[in-house]
Amino acid sequence: MPPLASFFVKRLLGAIPVLGVVLVGSFLLLEAASGDAVDSYVARTGGMDADQLAQLRQAWGLDQGPLQRFVAYISALAHGDFGWSTAFQRPVLSVIWERLPVTLLLMGIATALAFFLGSLLGVIAGARPGSLRDRFLSIGSLALYAVPGFWLGLVLIVVFAVNLRWLPVGGIETIASGKTGLARLGDIATHLVLPVASLAVVYLALYLRLMRDRMSEIWRDPFVLGLKARGLSHGRIVWRHVARNAVLPVVTMLGLQAAVMLGGSVVVESVFAIPGFGRLAAEAVSRRDTPLLLGVILCSAITVIIANLLVDLAYGKLDPRVRTIR
Amino acid sequence: MTAWRQLGWEGRIGLVLLAVLILMALLAPWIVPGDPLAIVGEPLTPPFTTELHILGTDRLGRDVLSELLYGTRITLLVAFFSAAAALVVGSIVGTLAGFLGGFADAVLMRITEAFQTVPGFLLALAAISVTGPSVPTLIFAISLGNWTQAARVTRAEVLSLRERDFVAAARTLGMRPLEIAFREILPNAFGPAASLAAISVAAAILIEAALSFLGFGDPNRVTWGSMIAEGRTVLRAAPYLSIVPGLALVITVLSVHLVGRGLSRNGRLRP
Amino acid sequence: MSQPFLRVDGLSVSYGGTLALKNVSLELVRGERLALIGESGSGKSTLAMAIAGLLPRQARQSGTIAFPSAPSGLRLGKDIGVVFQDPGGSLDPVMKIGDQIAEVIRAHEDTSWIAARVRAANLLDRVHIPKALSRLNSYPHEFSGGQRQRIALALALAGNPSLIIADELTSALDTVVQRHIVNLLDELVREDGLSLLFVTHDIALASERADQIAVLYRGEFVEAGPAAEVLGKPQHPYTKALIGTHLSLDTPRRKRLAEINPDSLNLP
Repeated sequence: MPPLASFFVKRLLGAIPVLGVVLVGSFLLLEAASGDAVDSYVARTGGMDADQLAQLRQAWGLDQGPLQRFVAYISALAHGDFGWSTAFQRPVLSVIWERLPVTLLLMGIATALAFFLGSLLGVIAGARPGSLRDRFLSIGSLALYAVPGFWLGLVLIVVFAVNLRWLPVGGIETIASGKTGLARLGDIATHLVLPVASLAVVYLALYLRLMRDRMSEIWRDPFVLGLKARGLSHGRIVWRHVARNAVLPVVTMLGLQAAVMLGGSVVVESVFAIPGFGRLAAEAVSRRDTPLLLGVILCSAITVIIANLLVDLAYGKLDPRVRTIR
Repeated sequence: MTAWRQLGWEGRIGLVLLAVLILMALLAPWIVPGDPLAIVGEPLTPPFTTELHILGTDRLGRDVLSELLYGTRITLLVAFFSAAAALVVGSIVGTLAGFLGGFADAVLMRITEAFQTVPGFLLALAAISVTGPSVPTLIFAISLGNWTQAARVTRAEVLSLRERDFVAAARTLGMRPLEIAFREILPNAFGPAASLAAISVAAAILIEAALSFLGFGDPNRVTWGSMIAEGRTVLRAAPYLSIVPGLALVITVLSVHLVGRGLSRNGRLRP
Repeated sequence: MSQPFLRVDGLSVSYGGTLALKNVSLELVRGERLALIGESGSGKSTLAMAIAGLLPRQARQSGTIAFPSAPSGLRLGKDIGVVFQDPGGSLDPVMKIGDQIAEVIRAHEDTSWIAARVRAANLLDRVHIPKALSRLNSYPHEFSGGQRQRIALALALAGNPSLIIADELTSALDTVVQRHIVNLLDELVREDGLSLLFVTHDIALASERADQIAVLYRGEFVEAGPAAEVLGKPQHPYTKALIGTHLSLDTPRRKRLAEINPDSLNLP
């Protein structure tokens, strides 16, 4: 097997027990919630007599012990059946499927922006640790790191949407605008500016700090003295060597932060009324839709696992030492 | 005084800010007497226009300053206790995993990873959806997603500690393994985990604010998050109602981060 | 005698109040090999780094360091090549060896990447890295400690320097590898007629490879002169002690080792 494929398989196998724990946890949550899947199904579809209820419970394996119920739950999941959303009166998976792309787009752009801008500023700060520029950026990033994304969203709305009227207040695109193609894309882009900014700022500050701190550590590494001894210019040492080495742990962080950012998107999407996956979580809780909430949790766990896998792959490409150790 | 000096100017500013915030929380009933939820004036009075209501009044005519001060209580209370719970649970899990090793370690670490895989905010939401919102359940819900880092750090520390002399000495003295783990190893491994305290507290503040902003906080109490949510309904007319409590949040989180940086400045925090 | 290649006059270096080097003067003729000997903390590395211009920023320096043949001074990396103690430590762990060498060549010379990489392969060949051309794309961790020190030598040579400064370049390596590296350095210096300034605490090494020896003790020269003179008729008690401890124990065995030149054993 080629090394990349075997790495991929190894990581996937490693994710199985983790996913198993998540499944057990969500099953316990399902058990803890009042009423079972049949109750919630019947709640909206209308009345059924006791016989029909019992029949349905038997069909869904709900009349058995907890272990059997767990097996039934898992096998349903394995068949792509995430349950029935009582709030939307549709299968959970189809609701999630509809909402996920918007959130992935939002998170993808926010991550890319935070990573590139954050590490760029981090390099500028870390190029000369202790300099005025460094202090200014470090304090600035600490302050930004303390800003809650949802509040920043509101402030941005007040400034750019309400007062300046430059950007839309919320939503993902203008409703019934009839725009197609590029015009529609541009419309979506203008709607994404503020939510992306609110979501990205905290991570931008985080990556700035990480990059800057790591660089100031690397400056003390003996190989930097070697580079100076070979007469390389400061700029080249900063960009090609110190920053290049410092970016590795920042990349690792990218995967770890995927889960946190997914959590952040719940509030930011609520602020901007974006019909995304994050807001779905809040809706599931406020509308007491446990199957939907579990579906959201499972899907976000899978999203996070995939994000971490991608980050690991990228890391393997970036750090030659990992490639050969494996 | 040496501890004060070691904090550096960042840590000192943070500590002073935090002390002021704690005082504000403790003295709230004396600074702003009366029920913070009571209607005391004209609705939507802008800030700095009357001496009676320095920060103005909200949509219903409640005093923003007294809501803000009482909000400090909930914010600090929830943040402190959930971070403490997370640290304690994390340290215990980490100590067990590191000390027991083998299968127990593998199981505990998979559980830790699972908790890291599910976004902490979703965990809190899920917990609230089962238990219903109140201060104790909020503390529990927030700590659910907050203990994993402490577990990892403590485990790493325990792994490096367990081969040291004093553990070997305890073994030869005939202490039982778990006794060694909790009486000898945990106290020594707790330092690094405690240096995570600032990060945990800051994260807890932000999660609490976000939860109550979405309306999943304790409905009987004023919190900064719920104030921001309240203000949001009149965002165009009275943006200050959302902006003021948000600024309080920023200052609180910033001061916690500053203290954390001050503490970690000279190596690790020792208990 | 021709004019000196390097002249150090009244050099003192201090770190925040503590004097690391006190009023040191020395001269080095082109093509000569000077060994700086002393214990750790004697200031020998400080002197070498001061000549290279690589002292940390907080160091305070007085006195002059001049290269009379080049009034405008020598360029670090181009005219002066430096090799450090830690063989892995002076290489960027995440950059290909070929790129690291080519980068240095291009920093001092206006050539294309291709030409620079060809030169890099030649340099690796000169320091006896087998299959030099194919190893251009290898990373530092894919080489052994001794090989990394060879690569560091290649990097020091990349700018065609006239002076090599070697700071304890073998003390992190095991004895056999040490010999290889020392022989290689000797070979390179002789081939190109370079001046060499090397720092060592190994008096045996100095006696074998240096034309001039300077002994440092607590930041001062206690003895300096031609190698044979310093070792044959040591004046200062510290030098005598150094020779007493090192030579009597080490030399006979090392001499035997030195007679078998391991590099000459390389089969074709």
